[in-house]
Amino acid sequence: MAFTVYCWLLCLYPGSYRDEFGAEMTSVFRAARSELPPALPAKISFYQREFCGLLSGAMRARFDHLFGPAIPFGRFSMQPQFRFPRSTVFLMLVIFAGVVLTIRMASSVAGDKVGSVWPSLISVLVFMVLTMCAAAAVVCGILHTLRRSGVHRLENVDRRMYSGESNSDQ
Amino acid sequence: METFALSEPVLLVLLSLAEQPRHGYSILKDAESMSGGRVLLSTGTLYGALQRLLDQGWIERIEEDDTPRDRRTYRLTSRGRRNLQMEIERMRHLTKVAGLRMTRKEA
Repeated sequence: MAFTVYCWLLCLYPGSYRDEFGAEMTSVFRAARSELPPALPAKISFYQREFCGLLSGAMRARFDHLFGPAIPFGRFSMQPQFRFPRSTVFLMLVIFAGVVLTIRMASSVAGDKVGSVWPSLISVLVFMVLTMCAAAAVVCGILHTLRRSGVHRLENVDRRMYSGESNSDQ
Repeated sequence: METFALSEPVLLVLLSLAEQPRHGYSILKDAESMSGGRVLLSTGTLYGALQRLLDQGWIERIEEDDTPRDRRTYRLTSRGRRNLQMEIERMRHLTKVAGLRMTRKEA
């Protein structure tokens, strides 16, 4: 199951990146997973780190693919104002699920209909996953449109203008 | 000198390869060992760093015919080694200054 999710997340990377590193990444993931301690917290921490790492890596690879390595992610990550632990995303999702669940339970109590918690929790989680997928699809669509429009070539135009090639043409 | 801000994962990857050529999983474990278990690289972070370092010519793949595609080995180039040495010098200088400042403050 976890390996399937990993492969699915790997599909978010550009095709060229997957061709170059995909086999290695899955191999390293399998090796790391085989050495996991049996304790549940260690497993949760591992999968959270891997999946969040894949998501942020895919986003970075997509931006690199689109705009080149001009966007200084490395520098941003070095500055405290742009740093936050990846667990923040996970905790935000948990808090969001908790808030929605509380509202649902409160509604049930108000209507004297206290039902089981699990159907609500599952429906909230499914809703959140679907929302994230929809947001990811929109972002991918925007990136694809930008790529087709040729925005990524503007950087090369600027380089040519300032490198003196334009002078030699004249 | 190339001005390139090295994040901690990238620095650990370079230090790992400075000792000997390694494949991905070996780099992952070595980075964990060097940081005393504090830095646990995910595969996404590791291969993002490797791709950037390959693009900038700081590391290279060792191409061998009998190496399987999912277990390729990387090594530091002379350019990467030179830049790593400069980064270490910079950190050494910073540590020295920090030590002096802290000593003055305590005095």
